[in-house]
Amino acid sequence: MAAPHVIVIGAGSTGAATAHDLALRGLRVTVLERGEIANCTTGRNHCLLHSGGRYCVKDQESAIECIDENLILRRIMPDAMELNGGLFVALNEADLAFREKFIEGCEQCHIPYREVPVKRALEMEPFLNPGLLAAVQVPDGVFEPFRFCLAFLATARHNGAVVRTYTEVTELARAGQFITGVKVLDHRTGKTQEIGADLVVNATGPWAGRIAEMGGVEVPVAPTAGVMVTVDQRLCNLVINRMDKPADGDIVVPQRLTSIIGTTSWAILDPDQIEIPKAHIEKMIQKGRELIPAIQRRVTRGVGAAARPLIRKANTDEREVSRTFECFDHQRDGVDGFVTISGGKTTTARAMAEKAADVVCAKLGQRAECATRTTPLLSYRLFYN
Amino acid sequence: MAIQVPIKVFRYRPGTAPHFERYQVTVPDDATVIDVIEGVWAEHDRNFMFRHACHHASCGTCAVRLNGYERLPCIVPVTEALAGRQELVVEPLRNFPLVGDLVVDVAGFFQKQAASGLVITRAAEATLSGQPFAHSELFSQAGALEERAYNRFENCIECGICISACPTMAATDKFWGPAALAGIRRATLTTGDCQEKAALLALADSEQGVWRCHSAFECTESCPQDVDPGGAIMSLRREIVGRKVKHLFGAG
Repeated sequence: MAAPHVIVIGAGSTGAATAHDLALRGLRVTVLERGEIANCTTGRNHCLLHSGGRYCVKDQESAIECIDENLILRRIMPDAMELNGGLFVALNEADLAFREKFIEGCEQCHIPYREVPVKRALEMEPFLNPGLLAAVQVPDGVFEPFRFCLAFLATARHNGAVVRTYTEVTELARAGQFITGVKVLDHRTGKTQEIGADLVVNATGPWAGRIAEMGGVEVPVAPTAGVMVTVDQRLCNLVINRMDKPADGDIVVPQRLTSIIGTTSWAILDPDQIEIPKAHIEKMIQKGRELIPAIQRRVTRGVGAAARPLIRKANTDEREVSRTFECFDHQRDGVDGFVTISGGKTTTARAMAEKAADVVCAKLGQRAECATRTTPLLSYRLFYN
Repeated sequence: MAIQVPIKVFRYRPGTAPHFERYQVTVPDDATVIDVIEGVWAEHDRNFMFRHACHHASCGTCAVRLNGYERLPCIVPVTEALAGRQELVVEPLRNFPLVGDLVVDVAGFFQKQAASGLVITRAAEATLSGQPFAHSELFSQAGALEERAYNRFENCIECGICISACPTMAATDKFWGPAALAGIRRATLTTGDCQEKAALLALADSEQGVWRCHSAFECTESCPQDVDPGGAIMSLRREIVGRKVKHLFGAG
């Protein structure tokens, strides 16, 4: 008997990792993406391989997910990352007062850290604010989001998955309470087509609500935008973070020859229409130069914004919403054969995929165990073989 | 302030005649050209096909021909692109198979990149401010501290701009092309293995390798990342010839 066929909607980091996990477990997988791979939320993220340090005080569940996944991704995708670590720096008395909580948080979340003397920190990072009062090093890293997804998809394709870009899902096919497949518009040909499936996974990030609606269900995903400002020189080797709870413009991520300053957070209605407030761009430069004063003299190379898919909880500010993820089996909403995986971060994409694939396999009666923790990914370039 | 940007875009589907269409797109005055291209999709035609991901010149997907020159639209301000012109003109890269509208098929290109042996990361310049680092204590793959050099991604973002700008690529897609040859050059510099280096040089020393290049240097001129593929090709030629001369006199 042929293995069950699963359609994964979305080729951002969640969809890419889910396709890889399911293909590795022997399922037949088709990935459908309306545009280019990683063309939105994943593509325009901060490129930060989180150590969890950013969340270790206020959101320990996310912090633990981040460090666990960080250590796994280092092993399975070793050549496609800048693994130089990150520094959390205290610039004033308030930051300094946070230091103890930060270190306690690292210990509670088993995040490796070491305290770096100020003099040594300035040797390591000559462009750092010379007025810094303390620095702690953690294993942050930097990835390149497009290639991050390609590596998962290259491996998924090697294991039999089919990846169709520029193929937009326009309807979910339904028979009684079952989702039986999707209707797509292939933008390359202009033709519509029905594709049958034993199960459909909705991995569309901030669009999860829109796809869920096609199936007649709701998911509590709140699209929340963030802006990234890139300047035209690499001003640090390590990721530089402000030693405080997450706030606007408190992190500079170096990548290749550039430095990316982020980020802000504001709720939006339509992830297809994000207007970047000018004030946010100015704020990035202003806050970024508190960490690295030379940012002020650099030229802006690019500005981008995309929506995060935050899982909505009642009565909370978007900065306070946990960055953790959830998998929704819509059987509980009276619709079967349909699963949504959303929330989370690119750093935790593999764990999100594991959770989603566990749910999918249980529903389809497949016994295969998750093997993605230890399976090295193929080179991203092999996606095109 | 919002501005109206007139844009003329290449439209194409397999089996239909390629043509241009004109649109007006509203963007903020500090927008980049990728925002205008995205605006064609968002405001006018959701069937419009284009490539994009990072919007800061790192993924390499969005490369197009803008006003007749290869550019990454994500780092070209609209005001700069419109200066002295009536409208923006946007076309897909040349020397790649067309897929639809601005989207080209990059599979053959990435296959050559894979064959070039270029590793995506390199040892970082030790100096950000001119002072060398004695050593770095960094976390290993297992999360323990170890001494090793900083690393960073290679400069080449595999955007395909050099392929589009190259006159030799226009004559034959068999040519290795500037990006892969620059990759081979980088790989020869970073490998410590003599046999591997010889194999890389043999790849470059072929009919479709460095000798096919006409030294137009359009690749170096158009590269948004200062990779200088033209210079890399010349360096490979010198090294290959140098080895042959040595061999001729029995020193190899």
